[in-house]
Amino acid sequence: MNVIEIENLSKTFRGKRRALVQALQSMSLTIDQGETFGFLGPNGAGKSTTIKIIMGLIRPTTGIARLMGMDASHSAARAKVGFLPENPAFYDFLTAEEYLRFVARIFGLSGKALNQQLERVLSLLDLQEARRRPIRGYSKGMVQRLGLAQALIHDPEVLILDEPMSGLDPVGRALVKQVLLELRSQGKTIFFSTHITSDVEVICDRVGVIVKGKMQAIERVEDVLLRQTSGYDIHVCHPRTGLHKTVFSEAKTLPEIIVSSRDEGFEVIKLEPRRQNLESFFLDIVKSNHE
Amino acid sequence: MKKLVLVGLVLLLYVSVVVPFTAYMQNKPFVEKLGYVPSAATLRTTSLDQQYLVSSTLIMKVLFYYGSLFEAQKNHIDIPPNYDGMVDVIETAVKLDPYNMDGYYFAQAILTWDNRRIERANALLEYGMKYRDWDFYLPFFAGFNAAYFLKDYPTAAKYYQRAADLTGYALFSKLAGRYMYEAGKTELAIVYLKTMLASTHDETIRQSFQLRLAALEETRRAEVARDLFIAEQGRHPKSLAELEQTGTLDFPLVDPYGGKFFLDETGQVRTTSKFSFAGAKKSRQ
Amino acid sequence: MWQVFRANLKGIFRDRVFLGILVAATIFPLIPSVSSLSMRQVTELSITLSFSLLTFILLLLAIFLGGTSLWKDIERRYTFSIAGLPLTRGQYLLGKFAAIAVFLLLVSLVLGLLLLMTVYVTSILHPPIRPVVWGNLVLAVLFHCLKYILLVSFTFLFSTVSTSFFLPIFGTIAVFFVGTASQQVFDFLQSPSGQKLPVLLQQIATGLYYIVPNFTAFDLNVNAIYALDVPLNGIGLTLLYFIVYLVIILSCASFLFARRELN
Ligand SMILES: Nc1ncnc2c1ncn2[C@@H]1O[C@H](COP(=O)(O)OP(=O)(O)OP(=O)(O)O)[C@@H](O)[C@H]1O
Ligand SMILES: [Mg+2]
Repeated sequence: MNVIEIENLSKTFRGKRRALVQALQSMSLTIDQGETFGFLGPNGAGKSTTIKIIMGLIRPTTGIARLMGMDASHSAARAKVGFLPENPAFYDFLTAEEYLRFVARIFGLSGKALNQQLERVLSLLDLQEARRRPIRGYSKGMVQRLGLAQALIHDPEVLILDEPMSGLDPVGRALVKQVLLELRSQGKTIFFSTHITSDVEVICDRVGVIVKGKMQAIERVEDVLLRQTSGYDIHVCHPRTGLHKTVFSEAKTLPEIIVSSRDEGFEVIKLEPRRQNLESFFLDIVKSNHE
Repeated sequence: MKKLVLVGLVLLLYVSVVVPFTAYMQNKPFVEKLGYVPSAATLRTTSLDQQYLVSSTLIMKVLFYYGSLFEAQKNHIDIPPNYDGMVDVIETAVKLDPYNMDGYYFAQAILTWDNRRIERANALLEYGMKYRDWDFYLPFFAGFNAAYFLKDYPTAAKYYQRAADLTGYALFSKLAGRYMYEAGKTELAIVYLKTMLASTHDETIRQSFQLRLAALEETRRAEVARDLFIAEQGRHPKSLAELEQTGTLDFPLVDPYGGKFFLDETGQVRTTSKFSFAGAKKSRQ
Repeated sequence: MWQVFRANLKGIFRDRVFLGILVAATIFPLIPSVSSLSMRQVTELSITLSFSLLTFILLLLAIFLGGTSLWKDIERRYTFSIAGLPLTRGQYLLGKFAAIAVFLLLVSLVLGLLLLMTVYVTSILHPPIRPVVWGNLVLAVLFHCLKYILLVSFTFLFSTVSTSFFLPIFGTIAVFFVGTASQQVFDFLQSPSGQKLPVLLQQIATGLYYIVPNFTAFDLNVNAIYALDVPLNGIGLTLLYFIVYLVIILSCASFLFARRELN
């Protein structure tokens, strides 16, 4: 079953003074079960708009969006979906614990199962200490972690996350990255938008790049990385003079260059594949779109 | 330090303004003007579901106005009361709340002796009777007005009968009949005032009734003495002073309004005050 | 829906709304002494004043709680986080409405008790000519409460189509005005002077009479203040009217809200 199906989706906003904003233009996308999909795009590209349509917050101008095989406007479609909105805000008069219970009950959890899940997500996202404080007093990063906790509380099959890393410190980022990798290994479907290409590199199976409301590329991350490996950086050091040097070599010439450096009395300290990483892939697409 | 000085300065400024301000407000002539009151229909629409509150407020307004006038009168300041204005406001009030007894009661209190607008008073009472169909006071007032002021005894009898039916109190049905005699007039006005007095605790109204009651009781005392004199001597007394000299009147008559009692040409007991402070003042001049 | 109701009710309490009401309710003890200004109907005046206070508090609550409820959720972007839940928009809306409705009921209960106490004290100090009919007081409080619940449904209806709180609040105030005056206008139309108006105007006004809510029917003040009999069939009809009207308004609100773009 396709978890997310988007066909020929367009969205036009009617802004102030009747100005029209084309946020999405005939976009199509299909996400399979068990897939981890990274949704990359510059600011204002239309990532959040796409996600809002998938979650039924707004309706497409044309085209179809389906979630779990149902039209996105059906509330039942969201029964096995965990959703984290962009810059989330929650009923801030409640405590984290109360809010999580509220969400869990709506997803049909109760009793022991609810308590178990509650403890699980609270410790998973390091919210144990703050659990009894009103959300009103939370820092941005804490709210973000609570957002993930509420998306995970019912152990959903599918996760739809709009910028899950935003507002988090490096520790929090590492934590969330860890959590996402864990979920991926459990075979959950993850669809998330981000600006951070390295996260996509580490977490995702596939990546889609959206620019100005148009899907520019959908690729397997592996393929991109493989295709983009252009050569190696060889870090060498002269033991006597202490001279450091970095030499670039293409894959073909690598053995020869190592040998010749040795001959000159250098020691190889580090060998780095110079992957022209996802970032450059992304930047290339954005740049070519600008021209 | 600077802050302290600043705070002190502001406080000083406030005090220097508020003292003269308060003095000004206090010394302002206490004329609680009735002001403009919109029509009943307008008020009912704009008062939303607070029409009963608005009605009560209007009556309170009139009552305070009346209270200030009464004070002024007692201090012998003569401000001609705006009776029509007061009754207009009361009529508006009972249109908003046709059950509001305060309205009828107050209208009755001011429209009779003070103002002699008996028809207007009785029209208002009639209107009230349609709603307060359990209340004997309204026909009782109307009956008193009809008999005492209008001398329309059949109508008075009708009202008193109604009051009697509502209370089962036979006194009321007898009242109308007694009015037919001039002699009974004072006595029955006393009964009326006592009934009025018994059913309110508003100080201004009470005071005005008590004054009138005291004056009427003095009148009654004079009338009793006069009748006694006639019975004993077989002739009419020349003056009230004669009653005192002969000992028929055991102590001098005092008009609480400050007037002087006298016997008119027909032998009726009257007072120069005509039962008002203003009247007493006029008669002294 | 039940969960939305619970969370929102909690929210109302945590916003210290109830505390505010209790502060406002400290006026109740003043009523007996203010009422003694009345010449002839102290207890009646104390009932009038108590009802004024109660309805005033309920009106403010209905308009401000109702008018800002949905708006606040949209403004503070709570709707985004709620959107991830398997709830229909209708369930969400009804949950929120129920929270306010129940809150109004609770407030009516508490203020109603204070009102009864106030009137009781006055009636002891100044026994009224006609004994107070306590059942009438209770009924009147209940029907005032129903009236304001109906008014809250209008704040929701307006909130579903508005992006600010202006329409919900001022629109509802307008509805309240029209709703309290509609019976008066209708009665006027039936009167001889009303019949003289242009026919088209009469028809439009009569048509409007059937569309706008009739709040006059919910006003049992006069029965409570002057111990008049409450017509039972009238009460029953008013109750039915309340239910039917509320269902219609809430259905419209749900329908509109389901089609609303939540940005
Ligand atoms: N309610 C709206 N009215 C008018 N225009 C809108 C509205 N919402 C979004 N847009 C426009 O649609 C475009 C896409 O916005 P969107 O929020 O989807 O971008 P994004 O990819 O999520 O950006 P970011 O990375 O900054 O979050 C932008 O140009 C934005 O200005
Ligand atoms: Mg975004």
